[in-house]
Amino acid sequence: MMDNRIAGGCLCGAVRYEITGPLPAPSACHCTQCRRQHGALGVYTLAPTDRYKIKGKRQLAWYQSSAGVRRGFCRNCGSKLFWERTGSGQLDVTLGSLDSSNGLKIEKHIFLADAGDYYDPPSR
Amino acid sequence: MEGEESKPLRATGRCLCGAITLAIHGPLRDVVVCHCGQCRRNHGAPPSYTAAAWADVSVQGDKNLTWYRSSPDARRGFCRICGSSLFWEPMGSGRVSIAAGCLEKPTNLRTVRHIFVADKAGFYDIGDGLEQLPHSMMAHAR
Repeated sequence: MMDNRIAGGCLCGAVRYEITGPLPAPSACHCTQCRRQHGALGVYTLAPTDRYKIKGKRQLAWYQSSAGVRRGFCRNCGSKLFWERTGSGQLDVTLGSLDSSNGLKIEKHIFLADAGDYYDPPSR
Repeated sequence: MEGEESKPLRATGRCLCGAITLAIHGPLRDVVVCHCGQCRRNHGAPPSYTAAAWADVSVQGDKNLTWYRSSPDARRGFCRICGSSLFWEPMGSGRVSIAAGCLEKPTNLRTVRHIFVADKAGFYDIGDGLEQLPHSMMAHAR
């Protein structure tokens, strides 16, 4: 758990955010949706939405990937930033978009049944 | 892209929303995981890429394909509707890297190597025992 201010943003810098911690340990999602959108695992931590300050929201595009769930990315550079269950009051953020890992480390792997066939998934 | 249909279909893929689909009629390179800071920020985690000759790749729905020039000689292609990362192109090479996550199973691909490990972030470990290169793989065949 971290309890300081954590900054991050997209590759081109059009969208920047700051989160007031603490942030829980991230999980790595192997589901088909995450792997398709990220071209990688979906590695996320989360915080209450009201603990985020987001700059450059005009460049932040949202895609509804399933009922009640949307994914936020930069429309200029395509960087994957957020995952949100609408109305939950929580916002997931990608670890890769953080300026620093801030001591956070993946603690669990989820949706391993949907893992890609081009790598050996971890056993946990 | 006349003539590509004469080669056997190797793989198909699509973005998350399905606006962009691709078909590859030619060999695919083994999968390489890139740990560089640009890839990490763009994908949200270290990406897994295969690669092909552009001439073997046909893309449907490319009006929804947005390119971002991430360095002087490379650009990244993603779907403007769903944000899916599909391509990394070293411009002028005639080749394109394709995100393995967009391909339909079975991909018949295997991961063989990690690159730019010197730039790896702290939020994960590499535990698969595969080859690790500190920087690029220019010494390896693309």
